[in-house]
Amino acid sequence: MKSRFLLATTAALALAAWTTQASAASKWDGADDLPTSPLACGAGEAAAPAAAKPYDGGQPTNPPNKAGKEITIVDVPKLIGIGYFNATSKGMQDAAKELGNVKVTTDGPTEAKIDEQIKFIDNYITRGVDGILFAANDPVAIAPVLKKALSKGVHVVGYDANSTPDAREWFVNQAEFNGIGKSMMDSMAKEIGEDGSFAIVTSTFTTPNQARWIAEMQAYTEKCHPKMKWLETVEAQEDNNLSFNQATTLINKYGDKLKGLFGMTSVATPASAEAVTKAGQCGKVAVVGLATPNAMKPYLKTDCVKSVVLWNPIDLGYAATYAMRAVVDGKLKPGSTSVEAGKLGKLNVVNGSEILLGAPFIYTKENIDKFDF
Amino acid sequence: MSLGVETRAFRVSPWLKRHETLLALILLIALVGLGAFNDRFLTIDNLLDQGRFISEIGLIALPMTFIIITGGIDLSVGAIVGLCAIMLGYSWKNFGFPLPLAIAFALAVGALAGFVNGLVITRVKVPPLIMTIATLALYRGLAEGISQARSVRGYPEWFYFLGQGSVFGVPTQLLVLIVLIVIAGIALDRTTFGRTLYAIGANETAARFSALPVDRVKLIVYTLSGLASGLAAWVLVSRVTTTRMDMGAGYELDVIAAVVLGGASIFGGSGTIWGTVIGLVMIQLLKNGLALTGVKGDATIVVIGVALILSVLIASSLERRRD
Repeated sequence: MKSRFLLATTAALALAAWTTQASAASKWDGADDLPTSPLACGAGEAAAPAAAKPYDGGQPTNPPNKAGKEITIVDVPKLIGIGYFNATSKGMQDAAKELGNVKVTTDGPTEAKIDEQIKFIDNYITRGVDGILFAANDPVAIAPVLKKALSKGVHVVGYDANSTPDAREWFVNQAEFNGIGKSMMDSMAKEIGEDGSFAIVTSTFTTPNQARWIAEMQAYTEKCHPKMKWLETVEAQEDNNLSFNQATTLINKYGDKLKGLFGMTSVATPASAEAVTKAGQCGKVAVVGLATPNAMKPYLKTDCVKSVVLWNPIDLGYAATYAMRAVVDGKLKPGSTSVEAGKLGKLNVVNGSEILLGAPFIYTKENIDKFDF
Repeated sequence: MSLGVETRAFRVSPWLKRHETLLALILLIALVGLGAFNDRFLTIDNLLDQGRFISEIGLIALPMTFIIITGGIDLSVGAIVGLCAIMLGYSWKNFGFPLPLAIAFALAVGALAGFVNGLVITRVKVPPLIMTIATLALYRGLAEGISQARSVRGYPEWFYFLGQGSVFGVPTQLLVLIVLIVIAGIALDRTTFGRTLYAIGANETAARFSALPVDRVKLIVYTLSGLASGLAAWVLVSRVTTTRMDMGAGYELDVIAAVVLGGASIFGGSGTIWGTVIGLVMIQLLKNGLALTGVKGDATIVVIGVALILSVLIASSLERRRD
């Protein structure tokens, strides 16, 4: 057993070393090896035309027919009491008010613990609701309790963080990876020009979302901004200090060559902006990244940062509520290609059973004060 | 004269038993009260469902009762759950262990983690609180380092039987818990091992002079605690179908709350398995009952906290009046 263990470890290590080396040759550091699908260049449709993928969601067993009738739904986000999910919750209340026949309450754990979230959902199944909206703390761990809800005839729609597809009927996807990649690169190109050089501050090279975004950014750059030059990707965990230090190192290392910094996490972006500010490089080094508005307000106010890429969580909650209503009314069913979502208009169905919110939202100096999270 | 008789009668049934009887009574009142508010609370379905949820905490609460009786504490149990869950998934996926072997391996890792706690506590004389705070960080760190924060999924169907299946309608893990409750109860009540625990907690020096194997018994209970945490990890992975490094985070507080509410003194020397079980059931059913009655998550925590303080206060003030 011991030798087998050693053999397995050695093999695993060798494999890891091999894959790192192989990817370093052609890929930007931090990008994954999955296939990419860059969007069309320039402004235009944010989503690629929905690829014909069959519906892969689950269906509730004998749900009561409540088409057009008043329904009670519960929203169980990853956790409650943070700005982000307060915003999604506000969107749900807005939608409920508009629809008039939906009653939605938000309830969930105070810490993002999957175990607690499961108990909350289980209790609401016992209590009896018509629908459950969720943002999963873990896509797989949440699946059994969601399947239980479906089996009791409760409608299940996810938003923000998905579960395995067969455990829910629909998932409202706030942004596809290629959409984020496009928005990031287009914003950067606008600020530093088509021949600028840039570096990336990410969490770790293996963090799934970040790796996916970086891969899509690379693919989109090769297609649409071929002259832009990638210098380096650095890891900074999701650590404030480390991100600041890494960004400062990049500024010192590349000097005038460095025109732009990407922050790939909500920690790295404000820390990079802080590093640029402290180095007196505002206006010389642009910062573009994913971040929450509150963390970025100071830097937008001083014009050190011009664009922050994210989605609009109020719209996300709003769309999820409309999707739930449409599911109950039978308007959104397997095979549908779009759904009406009030002020957001028609949202497209992608990836079989996902509803795409639309292009990522770019926060700028002008609109950022409307958001508090 | 009559006073003397009363005191005598009281000695016959020790106050500890009183505490649990009172707790049981409070539990009963709370249940009936909540049941009256909500017709979905006191149903077999819901109660069995809750049984599924208390199993992990319950499994760890049994050895924790032993530890607290000896005057010790184990804060690393939640971290051991995380480490064992990771080892189960990791050894299965990355070492290519067959799943039964991976499970055994995870249990062994749990026992070893507990054994290390016990070894340092007994040999180096580090206070349990400090040692297990240290290993709380250490074991969680190991879980994170080994797993690289990645989860392992896709277990075969039979693996889910423990966490999601049922036997004659009773959740599998609840049956396991019940069997272990009976074993732990007998061990504590009817064996030299159990009496040694009380002796250590009441007066460790005296226990040593009485030639009791103090260190060996302590080593055993900390190892049991690790083993039970490993078992809880197995149940948990089977219930949620995936392993995550943050599994079991915060379990230590839930476990200790159940044990202490059940009447075990944090200073050692007293406590029973049956009290722990009531404490455990009480916390879970209060949470569930309140949630079903429409109290929201954040308010539930407050109500639970107040309810816990009240029940301890009522129990102890009634005891004092008897004294």
